Amino acid sequence: MSEQLKEILSIVAGETLEKLAFMFSFPEDERGTMILDSAVAATISFAGPFSGTLVMTVSNQLLPELAANMLGVDDEETTLDQQHDALKETINIICGNLLPAIAGKEVVFNIDAPVIIAGVEAIKEAIEDHDNKPASIVKLNIEERDCDLFLFINGKFTLAS
Amino acid sequence: MTLNILIVDDSAVMRAMILKTMHMTDLPLGEIYQAANGQEGLDVLNQHWIDLVIADINMPVMNGEEMIDRMQENPDTKEIPTIVVSTEGSKTRIERLQYKGVRFIHKPFSPEIIRDTVRDITGVGVSDE
Repeated sequence: MSEQLKEILSIVAGETLEKLAFMFSFPEDERGTMILDSAVAATISFAGPFSGTLVMTVSNQLLPELAANMLGVDDEETTLDQQHDALKETINIICGNLLPAIAGKEVVFNIDAPVIIAGVEAIKEAIEDHDNKPASIVKLNIEERDCDLFLFINGKFTLAS
Repeated sequence: MTLNILIVDDSAVMRAMILKTMHMTDLPLGEIYQAANGQEGLDVLNQHWIDLVIADINMPVMNGEEMIDRMQENPDTKEIPTIVVSTEGSKTRIERLQYKGVRFIHKPFSPEIIRDTVRDITGVGVSDE
């Protein structure tokens, strides 16, 4: 089931990045966890038939490009607020599309507002400070930059057929 | 006829994306207003003539569904065509919104979906084909 979950997360993230920001992503399973010194993260929690958290860490260098592509402007024209807003909207859309892909379209989830996490220790906490190990980790290469997704699920869950 | 549009979303980037998308279509745009939550959206509706509302659902202060309910309680705003643009994936919730007469567009969206839905719900731009 973990492989199926990983595939679903990878596909949903890839499709979201492509449609939202015209960015193509490629799985990088062999890569280690990205260097957090130059990363920023966003986290979003959800509750429904099962609860959990999705954490997305991205290279600092990817942020301006993500925001610029979403806004249709040049990288250097984006502010840090816009870059963080772009990351929050991206994880929000990934999570919103991921949950029905996992649990089916009949069930209802409540999704919290996404939150930006900056700083190595805070990001480490977001990735590690959970009761369970991640149900799935997806490592992506986006425009030669790193992006990691960690999906934490509390308790048992089943994949919709 | 030009369309005065209210875009309600707590993400400034998403509001800008919707606006950019609207400009990519050949729809006749009038004044564009923006609000970051449902309450701000209602305030704009009280102050300006709006032909179309495009709203998110999950927002702080007042969510989009409550804003739509309040619009429908008000004779001045209940007939305004409304499109919800959201990540909502629950069929139950989407059907509840559609029962209220609003149209639903799933994020991420394409410019064509926005254009076609706006044309369909307002009738504006259809005869120009």
